[in-house]
Amino acid sequence: MTTKSEELNAPCLICENLRIGWGATPLLPEINFSVSSGSVWVLVGRNGSGKSTLLQTLLGVLKPLAGQCSLDSGSSLAHVPQRGNYDLCVPARSWDMVEAGVDRGWDFWRWGGRSERVRHALDAVGAADLARQPFSHLSEGQKQRVLMARAMASHPDVMLLDEPTSAMDPMAEKAIFRVIDDLRTDRSLAVIIASHSLTVVPAIATHVVFLDRDDQVVIAGDRAAVLADPRFQARYGTVFSEEES
Amino acid sequence: MSETAPTLREFFAAWELFRDPSLTGAFAGMMLGMMGVYVVLRRMVFLAATVSHAASFGVAGSYFLGLGTVGWIGSFAPILGALTMTFLTLWLIASDTSHEQHRRDSLLGFVFLACSAGTLVVGTRIVEEIQDIESILFGTAVAVLPSDFRLMTLLAILILLIHVWGWRGFSAVSFDRTGAVVRGLPVRGLEFTLFIGLGVGLAVSTRVLGALPTFAFTVLPALAAVNVAPNVRVCLIVAASLGAISGFGGYLLAFLFEFPVGATQTLVGAAFASITWLFGHRHSH
Repeated sequence: MTTKSEELNAPCLICENLRIGWGATPLLPEINFSVSSGSVWVLVGRNGSGKSTLLQTLLGVLKPLAGQCSLDSGSSLAHVPQRGNYDLCVPARSWDMVEAGVDRGWDFWRWGGRSERVRHALDAVGAADLARQPFSHLSEGQKQRVLMARAMASHPDVMLLDEPTSAMDPMAEKAIFRVIDDLRTDRSLAVIIASHSLTVVPAIATHVVFLDRDDQVVIAGDRAAVLADPRFQARYGTVFSEEES
Repeated sequence: MSETAPTLREFFAAWELFRDPSLTGAFAGMMLGMMGVYVVLRRMVFLAATVSHAASFGVAGSYFLGLGTVGWIGSFAPILGALTMTFLTLWLIASDTSHEQHRRDSLLGFVFLACSAGTLVVGTRIVEEIQDIESILFGTAVAVLPSDFRLMTLLAILILLIHVWGWRGFSAVSFDRTGAVVRGLPVRGLEFTLFIGLGVGLAVSTRVLGALPTFAFTVLPALAAVNVAPNVRVCLIVAASLGAISGFGGYLLAFLFEFPVGATQTLVGAAFASITWLFGHRHSH
């Protein structure tokens, strides 16, 4: 029988000697890290540093140039895209948005049986009261909650979020961090966030992947270790030393 | 117009005569109206216009080459011409992997203009008396062949069934492709099925009804539905219904007021789009 802490430490996504890129030339040196249940990994780096390419590779949209990125058997991913990427011309209420995220594989042929999962997913992110509202009428923070509920509807083990708090006011940003932290602790969800904003790091990160394409640097590991690394500090200074965070 | 205008009673008294063409319009409107939701929401309206004109060129070209009179293949030649040009156009657009919008638009514009002009030029040399260029382009024919009616009915029912069962998949790959990939949906299969259905639907409808009503059915009911529907599911149902009404109602109005059929069907669709735009929640909000 496994204990709760063993369950939380079980790796569900492992990147080994991973090389990423769009063409034949890798963008960055080899990337190695393993994501465990209940951890929050934040991918940080400047624009063009390779965050989005790494995210696309983890999602399976891009193939690795070398190495591998493997999911533990039985584990599954879900993606929360940037809010701005959703076309608001497509008519949808919050309920419909979440319902669209339920099906995996060939489940889309199935009739009915989605309501319970939609309700649970909306409850999990505190968005039950938004169910009947048109998605396009929601505030940025509300939209982000609904998109996270859509990802939760397919019962993932690892959730990947792309810039979840961009263009958000500080209060809305704080509320989203609280939801992510609740999902991590209450549901043992592993979370990977790509963000150009460093405010995510002290707020919720347990681990950090620092990417720097210019200097060909990749540092991945425990938050304290990455923030203390001279190569990270050479780029960002000591703004996030452990004392401050 | 004649001295005494035709009446509704006369239309239904001659139902045997008008059944096939009016129901063909209804089936085409329903089928294309439903698939048009994806065309409109994926911003592929110009693609639909180009494909319907390319299909017209295929129909005109088959008559020009005299294939319509060649043995058993003669009756299939116009449909084959339309299908060939439809899928040639779709292949040409798909093979442009530049992902540059202006390049794609230019390519669509080129095919649209070349095929439209080609249809007009070739149309002046068509020998079959029953196939005048106006019926190919604007859908002015008031009658359809029984074989065309059967083909349209079967195709519309088949596509309707595929979409009733698969709309969640088509919707996922159309509006959240990355999410669909991550959740393991058969993305390529769904996209292939969606585009094959759309290509065959456009080609057959262009052959049977003409390019103008075909393009109109693909765009106007979906435009109207998007204005009033709260979600994609309702949008598909409303667009299919308005498409069917445009097809049948347009034919009926064309009979009653002695208007050209394809243009009347198009105007009925345009009326739905205008009314829903004025009173729909999207405009009023």
